[in-house]
This record gives sequence, structure tokens and C-alpha cells, in this order.
Amino acid sequence: MSDQPVSGNRPDTLSRRTFLRAAGVAGGAALGPAVLHRKAEAQETPSPIRPDPSAKRGGTLRYAVHNAPAHFDVHQSGTVANIGPQSPMYDTLLRRDPKDGQTIISDLAWKYEISPDGKKYTFHLRKGVKFHDGADFTAEDVKATYDRIVRPPKGVVIPRTPLFATVSEIVVVDPHKIEFRLTEARPKAFMLGSFASGWNIIVRKKTLEENQGNLRQVMNYPGTGPFKHVSRQDKEVWIMDRNPNYWNKGLPYVDRLEIYHMFPFSPELGSAFISGKVDYARLLDPVSWRKAKEMPGVTAAAFNQSVIQAFWTNMKRKPLADPRVRRAIHLAMDRHTLVEVVKDTAPMQIGGFVYPFHPMSTPKAELEKRLGYQKDMKPAVQEARRLMQEAGYGQGIKGLDFVVRDIQTFKLWAVAIQAMLKEHINIECNLRTVQTSVWFDEAAAGNFDLAISAIVSTLMDPSDYFSAWYGQNGPQNYSVWTNEQFHSLTKQIDRELNDTKRKAMVRKAEDILELDPPLIPVAYEQIYDAWYNKVRGQNPSTYFGIYDVVRWDQVWLA
Amino acid sequence: MRKYLARRALFALGTLLGVSLIIFVVLRILPGDPLVAILGVEGHARMTKEDRVRIMHDLGLSDPLPVQYVHWLHDIVTGKLGKSFFRGDTVADLILHRGPISAEIGILALIVSWLVGLPVGIVSAVKPNSSLDNIARSLAILFIAIPGFWLGMLIVLALLFWFGYKSPLIIVHFWQSPWQNLQIVIGPAIVLGLAQGAYIARMARSCLLEVIREDYVRTARAKGVVERRVVLGHALPNALLPVITISGVLLGFVLGGSVAVEQAFGVPGLGRALVTAVIERDIIVVQNLVLLYAAIFVVVNLLVDLSYAWLDPRIHYA
Repeated sequence: MSDQPVSGNRPDTLSRRTFLRAAGVAGGAALGPAVLHRKAEAQETPSPIRPDPSAKRGGTLRYAVHNAPAHFDVHQSGTVANIGPQSPMYDTLLRRDPKDGQTIISDLAWKYEISPDGKKYTFHLRKGVKFHDGADFTAEDVKATYDRIVRPPKGVVIPRTPLFATVSEIVVVDPHKIEFRLTEARPKAFMLGSFASGWNIIVRKKTLEENQGNLRQVMNYPGTGPFKHVSRQDKEVWIMDRNPNYWNKGLPYVDRLEIYHMFPFSPELGSAFISGKVDYARLLDPVSWRKAKEMPGVTAAAFNQSVIQAFWTNMKRKPLADPRVRRAIHLAMDRHTLVEVVKDTAPMQIGGFVYPFHPMSTPKAELEKRLGYQKDMKPAVQEARRLMQEAGYGQGIKGLDFVVRDIQTFKLWAVAIQAMLKEHINIECNLRTVQTSVWFDEAAAGNFDLAISAIVSTLMDPSDYFSAWYGQNGPQNYSVWTNEQFHSLTKQIDRELNDTKRKAMVRKAEDILELDPPLIPVAYEQIYDAWYNKVRGQNPSTYFGIYDVVRWDQVWLA
Repeated sequence: MRKYLARRALFALGTLLGVSLIIFVVLRILPGDPLVAILGVEGHARMTKEDRVRIMHDLGLSDPLPVQYVHWLHDIVTGKLGKSFFRGDTVADLILHRGPISAEIGILALIVSWLVGLPVGIVSAVKPNSSLDNIARSLAILFIAIPGFWLGMLIVLALLFWFGYKSPLIIVHFWQSPWQNLQIVIGPAIVLGLAQGAYIARMARSCLLEVIREDYVRTARAKGVVERRVVLGHALPNALLPVITISGVLLGFVLGGSVAVEQAFGVPGLGRALVTAVIERDIIVVQNLVLLYAAIFVVVNLLVDLSYAWLDPRIHYA
């Protein structure tokens, strides 16, 4: 894996400087094998994003994203309501390249080394980086940040803690060098992805100490990021200015960021963009997005989001404990219709138990040949009825309590699912629509037969969400599902360092989940963005989710 | 008069205390966990029992209910009104920032309702069962029947798709930019005002029709007073009392209606803050805003009652 940013510009003529640079690169390439034989694997990138010489400086970028955050602690959050407006003020150790949203490049760590046994990650930190309050950034800040993420204090809940479950010790070697020691090795992509997650922003040790490790009600805590807080009007706008002392000289390009809080998929957000009141809109509703796509001077993009939409089947209820009944329910879903049902409310795509766009999952074309994902429902329904018969429920099931989260997509789907279950396998259910907060109470207490909602993950890597969604005692395993074969396979997937072997295991896990579903996947969410063409330097078409590339330092206004 | 005022003020205080108790109890017995909104879905799922205890303690939700109620009353008396569960903003700041916008909408709506309702009511009463009266009555029923938020959405969409126009996204106060401020408040004020205007038109018509048949009006006409003066100078003042009464009641509808209409127009007023707070289950914000709406309603109705004496010298309060 190379962390070097790739330059797309090739000079027309070979200048002396270009020649010397090329010679340097060639020399480096020649020395490559020697470097590879070193004890630890070193990755180095002098500057994660090189300022684009054609980019223009100045201007105000007006960006609309999500409603206001419930609190200000990015580490404790799981919603874009925080990461959307707050990320531009912070940096991370590593980050995803805004060019593709996938490649991991350096950030506050300019170099990292992984020990040959994969149990030690050493980060070399940039010197001369300052927090917005003027304090120097050191390894102590990284240690304080990650100590809190890995082992949160009481009353502090950090959804990313499980990513670092194997981190046993964080050691400051010197003010600009820090080591993360692991109890056992994890796949490199998983660990680096965790360090590059946009959630894991570096905050000051002093800030954490002064607030007893809880930043929920601390609005403006200093970061090292490209933008500095100026003002905030609750539920309206967050304004920040360019950080003139940003360590990545030349960045950011825009002088001011105005981040507007608007409900996702709302007509208000759509109208703000269409009327030109904002330059860039994230989480547009499909109707506004399609309208924006037709507008001259506007670019619209759709990309994958880290959310699965599903419904859970309560394993404590007798008919639903039977894997054949759950498989029958799974097969009775006409997913193509379900995606169509909500097409004007939220953009969705078909998928199974693993992100359908992940390189280790069954490819979409292959998946759509499987029962339960085909356009032609006949074979799937036939099999579903056979399974119900075999399980002793050939006559169907009556009176299931279907708890529906009070959100438009779930309400639309619940009615369609109710009809599909009745028509295909004679399962009758009563819909019970409840507020979001009630839904989670009911789900956690097991007061449901079927319950529809959505859950997210930080990484696309199955090791992140297999344990949370499907794991024994997994926090989002609302069905309270168990399958010993799957749980033991998950442990192997977590430990396996060879990608090919890992992929085979993930496919095997998929097969287990298909036959013994812990939840019934409905669809995978997509994100609709649109921006006026004067906004340059970002196209999220290949991004995964909206949590990693959210800093706006590379964006400029033409 | 003073005794009457004191008695009414005491009743008003009792009413508000009762309202506060109802709001407080209802919000606490409603199902749903505010920690879902605070911690997010993932954080909530990973929260341990110890975490819950700690967070509930930090939010002041682990105190016994009577203690929580007394704390709230103390906050009201001291004018702090408490802090939002979420971002720590004080409710007093929220009201000071957003209140003027909602107040403008309410007052403008009232003005629109009188400007539209009264002339329509007078014309209908002066020429009953004429085609003008029929049109006015049909329009009145139409505006009463149309939900304000729906009409609001239609206006927003029409302005957007025909003219590419949308009102400012954030609050601009009148003293900051009167023109931008007007763009924010005018839409909701017209929608709310038209609906209330329809009620006023119907009330003005029926009251005026009644008064017009009175002996003193007939006498004025017999004396040769011009019709305009008969209607506006003699009949109308006496027909206005019920219209004023209904205006006080209608203000309550304006306040209630503004919640949905502000949402439809995307106006960041108190109504919208209330909707967001309900979604977030931000109990402190909800209970204070509902109490504020109740207080406004009580005070306006008290003022309406007191205005009777000023409008009709025959009325005396003892």
C-alpha cells in the first residue's frame, strides 16, 4: 500500500527541477526493496494534500448539512450533525484522501511504522503544529485523546471504542512520537482505517482535563484544523474562518465557512440549494437532487453511505426463533420494490448482510441472482413458503407486533413489508409507529416481534460491524441472535491478516447469515450531494459515508 | 378596578401554575429516552448502566420529580428558565433570540386578520346574500378549511420554482435589516392572518347584521345620517366587542398555528424551536416554551377583558 498522494499533472517540458525531482523518485524506487526489508514498515508522506497551484484563494463557502448537533463532543457522537460542522476545526492522525475518499494519507502524523508482528503502530507527529489557542501540539495530546477513546471515563460513551479493543497501551516516546501497542495484530487496513476515521479528531490534553473528559457542552474547544470557530447560532449556522497558521501551508483556500443546519432530506434543504442560498448541499432529498441535476452550472453526485436499513425479528418469540421462519421472511422481501417505494423520500440500493459495495462482499451482479434479491420473486416466494411449511407454519402466523420508527422511509416500508409478508407467506402483523427514542427503548427491552430502523458503522470493514450488528451481546443485535459458527468465524475474520483468506471467510459468513438471518436487510442508504460548479476540489462520488472527508481544506471557489 | 385586576392576576397565576404542573408531569410520563437524542443511536446502544446513571445525574434527571419541579419553578422565578439538555444553551437566550421573530409573525398575523377580515365582514353585512357576500363567505370558509402549513408549503414551492426565491436562512432581526426581516416574517404572517381573518369576517358579519337591526341604527338612518357613517360610526363600534374577544382567542390559534407554519416556511422562530425540542425530547426547552405560550395566551385574554371597559363605557369592573 502506498500512502503517497498521486499527482495527476504531468509537465509538458522537462525542467531542471522536474528532472531532479524525477531522479529523486527513481532513486527512491531503486532503494525501495531495501526499505521494505527494514524491521518495521514505514510510511511517509511529507504533506497529505499538496496545495493545487490552479486553486483560487478567498471567498465564503456556504454549506448546508444536517440539523444542529445534540452536543459538541465529536468523539461521543455518531451523527453527521457533529462531524458536518465541527470537522473543519480539527485534524486526525491519518486521513482519507479527498480525491477518492478511500486512500489513507497522513495528517498530524507525517509518518507511521507498523512492527513486523503487527502489534505496534508508531506515529511520528508533525512539529510546529499549533492548536487554535496557540498551544503546541504534542504526543501528549494524542495520548490523552486516544486514552479517552480507548477507555472512556464514566458517563462518556464513545461509539468508536470497539475499534481499538486490542490497544493495550499508548506510550509517548518523545513529544513527537507515539506508540500504540496491541494485544494482538489486526488487519492493517482495519487499524489504519480506524486511525483515519474522521471521528477520531485530536483534542488538547488540557481541554479534556479541564472538562473532566466530557466535551458534550463545550462548544468551542481548540483544534489544530484548517478553520477556526467564529460564531454559532443554535440550529441555524456555524461560522468559521480560515486558520492563518494552519500547518499545511497554502490550505485552506476559502476564507470563511458558513455551515447551515438543515434537516436531511427536507424540502427546506432542497429549496435552500435550488434558490442558491447555499453553494453545497449534503443529504438532499431525491426530488430536489433530481431537480438540481437538471440545473445548469450544478453538479450532483450520489455515493455510498455507512448505513443499513433493516428490520429485526425477536428471537425470544417462538416462531421467529426458528431460522427457517426468518429465512422465509428474508426471502419474502421484494427488495427492488422496497427501494422503489421510497425513491422520492431517500435514495437506497439493494444489499445483503455485508456492505454491497465492499470488496469482500458478494458482488452486486452475483447477489441479484440469489433468492431474495432477484427481480423475479416467484422462486424466492416458493422457497419461502416451503420453509414455512417445513417449520410448521404453513398456515402463516398472526398478530405479530411490528414496531416502526416514526420516520417517513420506515413508515412507507412498514406498510409494504406488511403487505409482502401477508401476500407471500401469510404472516399478519400490526404496525405500531413510535418516536425514535421510544423505538430504541422498545428494541432494547425486547418489546417487539418485528422492528424496523437503521444502524451505522464507522468503517466499511466487516470487523467493525460484524460484532456490533450480529455479535453475541452486540449493542445493535436487537434480535438477540446467536450462531456459534458465525461468532467463531467473526473472531477469525478479526484476526486474519491475509486479505484473500479474509475475503473467503467473509463470504462464508455471508452464507451463514443468509440461512440464519439475524436481521432482515431492507436496503443500504445512499447520499445525495449537489453543488454549484464554482465549488471546486471535491467530488464525493467514490466516498464511503459522510464521516471521513469533511474538512473542506482542499475546496476552493472559482 | 384594582381589586378586579388583582383577582384576575391571581387567577392567571393559578392557571399558569396548573399548566406548569400538567406540562411537567406529562413530559415525564411520556415514553421515550432523551439519551437517544443526546448520545445518538450508536452511543445509546453502547451505554452501560453506570453511564446512564452518571448522565442522568449530570442532567438533573435523577432527582425526585417534586425536586425537579421546584428547581424548574426556581429557574422561572429567577428568569433563567433552565438550560437545554443538549448544547447547554439557556432557554432564556433562545427566547430572546427567536422570540422577536415569532412575536412579529403573531402581531403581523393579527393585523392582517383585521385588515382582511373586518372589511370583508362589513361588506357582507351591509349587502347580505348578495353575490359579494357569497364570494366573501366562500373565501372565508376556504381559508378556515385550508391547513396553514399546507398553504405555507405551496407558497414556498411556488416562490421557489417560479421565481427561484427563498427567504433568508437565518434570523435577521428588524433592527439589523428591516427588508430581510420582512422577507422572513411576511409569509407566515399572511398565511396565519388569512385563516384568522376568515373567522373575524364571519364574526364581524353576524355581529354587524344583528346591530344593524337595532333601533338606534334605524333612528340614525331616519335622521338622514349617511349610510357609511351609520355603519362605521354607529353600528360598528358596538359590533366590535365580540370581534375583539374572538381576536384574543384567535391569538391562541396563531400561536399554535405558528408551530406548523414556521416549520413549513423554514422560519427559525419559537414554533420551530418547539418542534425541534419535541423531536429531540429536550424536556427543559419544551416545558418552558409551552409555558410561555400559555402565559401569552392568559395575558392576552386578560388584556382583552380589560379593553372592554375602554371600548364600552357602560362596562365597569368592580
